Amino acid sequence: MAGRLEPHLEALRRELRAPDPAVLSVLLALLAVAITLLIWRFVQGRRSSRQAVLLLGLCDAGKTLLFARLLTGKYRDTQTSITDSSAVYRVSNDKSANVTLIDLPGHESLRLQFLERFKAAARAIVFVVDSVAFQREVKDVAEFLYQVLVDSTVLKNAPALLIACNKQDVTMAKSAKLIQHQLEKELNTLRVTRSAAPTSLDGSATGGPAQLGKKGKDFDFSQLPMKVEFVECSARGSKGEEGDADFEGLEKWLAKIA
Amino acid sequence: MRPAAQGGGLDHFWGSRGDGDDGRGGNNSFTHEALTLKYKLDNQFELVFVVGFQKILTLTYVDKLIDDVHKEFRDKYRNEFQQKGTLGLLNGTFDFKDDFMRLLRDAEESSKVRAPTVMKTFEQSLKSQKTVKCMIETRGEKPKEKVKNKKNKGSKKEGTEAVVAPGKASAGDKQLSTAGDREELTKDEILQKNREEFFKRHMKAGEKSSKSPKPEAQKEKGKKPRVWDLGNSNAKVLDYSNSATNGSAEACPVEEFDPDTALGDRNREPGRLYDLEYESDDEAEEEKVIQNPSKPSAKKGGLGGMFGMLKGLVGSKSLTREDMDPVLEKMKDHLIAKNVAAEIAVQLCESVAKKLEGKVMGTFTTVTSTVKQALQEALVQILQPQRRVDVLRDVMDAQRHHRPYVVTFCGVNGVGKSTNLAKISFWLIENGFSVLIAACDTFRAGAVEQLRTHTRRLNTLHPPESHGGRTMVQLYEKGYGKDAAGIAMEAISYARNQGFDVVLVDTAGRMQDNAPLMTALAKLIAVNAPDLVLFVGEALVGNEAVDQLVKFNKALADHSMAQTPRLIDGIVLTKFDTIDDKVGAAISMTYITSKPIVFVGTGQTYCDLRSLNAKAVVAALMKA
Ligand SMILES: Nc1nc2c(ncn2[C@@H]2O[C@H](COP(=O)(O)OP(=O)(O)OP(=O)(O)O)[C@@H](O)[C@H]2O)c(=O)[nH]1
Ligand SMILES: Nc1nc2c(ncn2[C@@H]2O[C@H](COP(=O)(O)OP(=O)(O)OP(=O)(O)O)[C@@H](O)[C@H]2O)c(=O)[nH]1
Ligand SMILES: [Mg+2]
Ligand SMILES: [Mg+2]
Repeated sequence: MAGRLEPHLEALRRELRAPDPAVLSVLLALLAVAITLLIWRFVQGRRSSRQAVLLLGLCDAGKTLLFARLLTGKYRDTQTSITDSSAVYRVSNDKSANVTLIDLPGHESLRLQFLERFKAAARAIVFVVDSVAFQREVKDVAEFLYQVLVDSTVLKNAPALLIACNKQDVTMAKSAKLIQHQLEKELNTLRVTRSAAPTSLDGSATGGPAQLGKKGKDFDFSQLPMKVEFVECSARGSKGEEGDADFEGLEKWLAKIA
Repeated sequence: MRPAAQGGGLDHFWGSRGDGDDGRGGNNSFTHEALTLKYKLDNQFELVFVVGFQKILTLTYVDKLIDDVHKEFRDKYRNEFQQKGTLGLLNGTFDFKDDFMRLLRDAEESSKVRAPTVMKTFEQSLKSQKTVKCMIETRGEKPKEKVKNKKNKGSKKEGTEAVVAPGKASAGDKQLSTAGDREELTKDEILQKNREEFFKRHMKAGEKSSKSPKPEAQKEKGKKPRVWDLGNSNAKVLDYSNSATNGSAEACPVEEFDPDTALGDRNREPGRLYDLEYESDDEAEEEKVIQNPSKPSAKKGGLGGMFGMLKGLVGSKSLTREDMDPVLEKMKDHLIAKNVAAEIAVQLCESVAKKLEGKVMGTFTTVTSTVKQALQEALVQILQPQRRVDVLRDVMDAQRHHRPYVVTFCGVNGVGKSTNLAKISFWLIENGFSVLIAACDTFRAGAVEQLRTHTRRLNTLHPPESHGGRTMVQLYEKGYGKDAAGIAMEAISYARNQGFDVVLVDTAGRMQDNAPLMTALAKLIAVNAPDLVLFVGEALVGNEAVDQLVKFNKALADHSMAQTPRLIDGIVLTKFDTIDDKVGAAISMTYITSKPIVFVGTGQTYCDLRSLNAKAVVAALMKA
């Protein structure tokens, strides 16, 4: 190594002794540029190996509680989120694999903004649904899900999608099967109304250039570019707040995608 | 550290903060039921401090208390916030009870010394302390019991309740605090309250200026056919208000009518509004945003640590008001130049300042770029509808229930109500829904004929033959001078009987200060309970926008018989083709109503109907 550098160093030394250091400064500048480029590549590389698992869903779906449970196992009282929180989640069976869990706020006026910010980093998306309030909220749930699914970045990266039907500890909770069925129906309707909406100001259709699922066929989740799974879970757990949460399915899925 | 405020109240505090963030916040206190909530933001550590107390009490020490608590809490847990990250916060305990009790006592003492008039009896203060005590919780206590506690206390509660929520240092969990019961008022309701307050304030201010002779002037202006540079060249096509005043149906023989002109170029690129620059602006913005996500993961590694150190060395500076003021001033002027109502520009900048004050700036960012970024976010958030109005979706629902979907159009004179009503009819018909147009403008000469002409043209474009013999659009008219509310009602029942899918109710233009006409409109809406009330406003409007919307909403609220008054549900922004990039009206209108802009009118042909694109509008706003 040193031997190979010798002649270069010699040249450098000569250069330094020379009356005009212009050549040297040019060299230095080139070196700086090269280093910057290297760093840039490095950062870019990092970015493209998407590490984040986003927790999405409407207000009160239970994202933050799931987030806390996954990370600490403990129950925490939560408040409507107004910003994102993120932490490294170590997948249980394998110490080396980990992902960054990001809990996003579900409030109407915040969610799209935060989705925008984090969508490019998403390796996978957990879409949390409140199975108890589902009947009432089905339109809103479908609308948000639709917005996520037709997003061009999401379509391009096709992150794995898990629809977590939360709050299964409550007796009134709807089953994952029913939720899937209803969501498919609702998304099918949305697909029609959105593609018929007036074109948006900058020329693109409001539904985005993307058409959800296959044309001419009733929508179902298998038509999407990403793998979609449904799982029932409960962040509260059947034993209430002291007990453990009930989300093996979710943990398994996280282990799989990590 | 367990926040102890009432679940409901605090919940709505959070809820409305979510909205407040976009700049509707104004001052940092508001009332919720019987409580006044005061809050303070610490942007550096991302903390929120809330004090709640009975609204009837005039507690002089609240400001001091909140400041003291803020300082102590911040200093005590400074290290945790800075170092531990989310996981630390999740696991950490923030036992602040004793400190809080001491601070509260101090604050109470000091207020007694300074202001003997608001002094409490010994008993009262004891009581209040007791309340505080059971409100503030220790970690061990079971949350369930706490909820019960709160409920039992009910109306007896008299003291202050303080809430300290841990935020996050880098990526925290403000939300991992507490709330018990979540029923009571919904977020919308508290928002509504805030808005009502805004109206009240505004009404007072507006009263003085309302005597201007504007009504006549505006009315005249409204009916002049205009030729816009940007509009379609066949500009007159949709304006039948003049040609048809003689009322004869033969005024516009169908033969003369060329469907292509009325339609405009159906296949033309609709993007003519914006140039390429614009789009690239957008992309650049996106790039910036995308960089963020890499932050959380990068931070964890050794690289992150190094960065942190470097950051410390370079000396990250926290923003002060003085730093921001010149930039904000510039931004405010910029917004006003883009036709945002002055009042709203001021409030927006104020809220951006509040959100940024004390925030630690990134090393390589400038004050200007930080402020710009925050403002941009706030603007996007304003334009993002609270609840999207999906007309087609709702029409389908109504269709399933075998009832017509009723839309009422209202607005001041000449803004384009009738024209855009016709465009929306066209759009609905194209989507296979039949439309009944109710001519409830029984006031302005020619109004009914204008609609009649539109109906005929629409029927030529979509003859019954191509729709299985079904008449797709029909006019329900009862001439002039009659009661508009009555005609609307008849039209709706006619539509129900005849199986029309949608009823579009055209109303007479009215100035917001014309009390009798406003009352009539409110009555029409109260009686007929339409599914959608659309306010039609021109994109040309500047400061007037605030006054118009506030007064329209006020009139609707005043005459509503329902418990939750029926207000404007959405906005139609017309003449968007005439304003170049001065798109401020979109901000003003959504800011005041926080209702979405459902349609945008961009010209005078049936095809000139668009939906809003928040990003495009914000890009136009921010463009120098
Ligand atoms: N019964 C039951 N309650 C749950 C469950 N998960 C969450 N909750 C409760 O639902 C409420 C809302 O939970 P959060 O985690 O704050 O909801 P979020 O999705 O983060 O909501 P935003 O931050 O507003 O978007 C809390 O009161 C939780 O205790 C569950 O599995 N079962
Ligand atoms: N350039 C342009 N002109 C429009 C647009 N919408 C309406 N107009 C024009 O604005 C003028 C007034 O339109 P109307 O539809 O008669 O307005 P109105 O609100 O019904 O008026 P009143 O019923 O008298 O209150 C007409 O000349 C229309 O052609 C638009 O989106 N762009
Ligand atoms: Mg949350
Ligand atoms: Mg009219």
